Amino acid sequence: MSELLDIFSVLILLSAFVLMANKRIRSYIKTFRIQSFFIAAAAGVMGWESFIEKGHVDILVVCAIIVILKVIYIPNLLSKVYSNLEYRVEKDFIFNIPLLILISCGLVVFTYFSVSTVEGLNEGFLNKQIINSVSVFLMGLFFMISRKKAIGQIIGFLELENGLYICAMFSTHGMPLVVDLGIFVDMLTAVMIMGLMVFRINEKYESINIKKLNRLKG
Amino acid sequence: MILLLLLIPGLSAALFFLCRNNKINHIINVSAASLLLLCGAWLTGQVIHSPEMEYRSLGFFYMDPLGIIVLDIVLFIGFATGIYSVSYLENEIQEGVLPKTRCRLYYGLFYLFLFTMILALTVENMGIFWIAIEATTLASAFLVGFHNDKHALEAAWKYVIICSVGIAIALLGIILLHLSSIDALSEGQQLDFPALFAKAAVLKKPIVRLSFLFILIGFGTKAGLAPMHTWLPDAHSQAPSPISALLSGVLLNSAMYGIMRTVAIVNRCEGGSQYTGRLLIGAGLLSVLTAAVFILTQKDYKRLLAYSSIEHMGIVALAVGVFTPLSLFAGLFHMINHSLTKSMLFLSAGTILQKFHTKKVQKIKGLLRTLPVTGPVFFLGLFAIAGVPPFSVFASELSVILALFDAKYLYIGGVLAVLLAGIFAGIAATLFPMIAGGGTEEEEEEGEAIPVGEINKGGTAVILMLFCIICIGGFFLPDSVILLMEGARDLMLGL
Repeated sequence: MSELLDIFSVLILLSAFVLMANKRIRSYIKTFRIQSFFIAAAAGVMGWESFIEKGHVDILVVCAIIVILKVIYIPNLLSKVYSNLEYRVEKDFIFNIPLLILISCGLVVFTYFSVSTVEGLNEGFLNKQIINSVSVFLMGLFFMISRKKAIGQIIGFLELENGLYICAMFSTHGMPLVVDLGIFVDMLTAVMIMGLMVFRINEKYESINIKKLNRLKG
Repeated sequence: MILLLLLIPGLSAALFFLCRNNKINHIINVSAASLLLLCGAWLTGQVIHSPEMEYRSLGFFYMDPLGIIVLDIVLFIGFATGIYSVSYLENEIQEGVLPKTRCRLYYGLFYLFLFTMILALTVENMGIFWIAIEATTLASAFLVGFHNDKHALEAAWKYVIICSVGIAIALLGIILLHLSSIDALSEGQQLDFPALFAKAAVLKKPIVRLSFLFILIGFGTKAGLAPMHTWLPDAHSQAPSPISALLSGVLLNSAMYGIMRTVAIVNRCEGGSQYTGRLLIGAGLLSVLTAAVFILTQKDYKRLLAYSSIEHMGIVALAVGVFTPLSLFAGLFHMINHSLTKSMLFLSAGTILQKFHTKKVQKIKGLLRTLPVTGPVFFLGLFAIAGVPPFSVFASELSVILALFDAKYLYIGGVLAVLLAGIFAGIAATLFPMIAGGGTEEEEEEGEAIPVGEINKGGTAVILMLFCIICIGGFFLPDSVILLMEGARDLMLGL
């Protein structure tokens, strides 16, 4: 069982690299969907295990919510926002892709060394994966600063949230269920609000390039 | 009863979305704000009179002196801004800045914002606290961008993105704290503040240390500590003024409350305050320094007030970092004083903005003459926030500096005193020219002069009330307030 989870955690990390290498907004959304699917699958495996052993359905419920929200609803919402925009440019990246990938590799190595020096972090349930999850978290942050379109930032934020989520799931078998549900509600509202704001920015600035948001200084 | 505290803002938010008549909406707003204040007073009484100084309900809500202090600030400032908003909105509608239909949207979001803050301060579970703090960002995002022009939109976007990411970092910290406690706590008490605090000694130290870093950065972003403060001046200056008062007087405290709780847990786990102390004192001093630099060169009075909030949050962080009984008391006292004084200033700034239609300092002359009540109060409020006696901010700033010297942080205390003097000079040099002059005969003949007189009667009364409190707070504190602050101090020290 734990090997299966190992495989999923590596796949999630891999999808983070693929996301970093994407150039077009449409492909971000696709890659994000795939990443969320892997997370849902990992949650499914873990939930099934805990259901068989202890009869808990918590993680299975969470798995179903991930499928509905992150695999189906949010990617659809983002593609809808994107297709309804008036002014759009397909490509969106600042540095060249090989450089971005190299920096991401650096982030993973950095996480590996810093996480393995913390005592007690490798004693939980399945904690080899904590390195992968924290790397996904950091790559989400880096993704946000390496893209300059508003939708790119939303995807970065979602990737970061994914990293957090698998970190919680792999290290502690998830937070208490109420907390998990609350986090989903918050995330959903956040994405909706950001999507609405993308529309408004597009209207007022005739572009979704956030480099243009530079009026407030000092 | 505690459910009522959540039901009132929740229900009124729903009512605003249903009701289209602005007059009725104003009435709902005023009555909801007053009812909330009454509930808060009742709850405070419960906490003071219970032997352990705590209040539990339904296994979900938990109040102790620390929580109740911050909650009372929320309800009180919420009441003040609620009353102020009535005439503020009417004026905006009359001038055609605000379409009539958006009034209820404002109130709805306003009460959702209050709801999320009340939820954050009354729950026992740290995960739910996090959810509520994230929800405050979401509820206030459209309030920050309420004016819907390019500037407001930019401020709102920065606010949502920076705060959401910051808060996500805090979630990583909370996950790590959960991981460190997984063996120590039983299933039902996971992530509960009091349980974590009680079992702090058996948590896994290295993970707790790591988690504190993430939590400090995360909630520090929301509390406006430098260098994560960049959203704050934009959001505070672009939001409608009553919302700026809420953001500055209330929201920053709620985030700081999360940091205080975590510091208490981490210090108890470490058996000393050295680790958290260094980080908090560093962040606090950097905030004061950043604020000082920007205040000295500021041209926009709302931005200046925003930077001053960063400064005062820095002082509170410093006080919490020192972690002696005196410094904690001073820090809590400072938090209360800052909230009252700063919301008063933001509300006055709102009236000034509606009267003069500009945020630029240079374009405003003759404040004392044009606004006979708000003008002088704003002027004296500036003295108060800069830390001049006899106002209450002076009393608490002095206690913080004394606490620093008392704990042998001589250099830091000295640097803080110098920076505060610099900030005073900055505020004086920048804002005092607004006060005098204006209203010359030539201008009046040409019809350019702005008519003399107050424009927001209810608001002026609220501002005066806040002003009286900060005047009295400088040399007299009611026993119950002292009792609560001592309770909160002992709670954090684990006495």
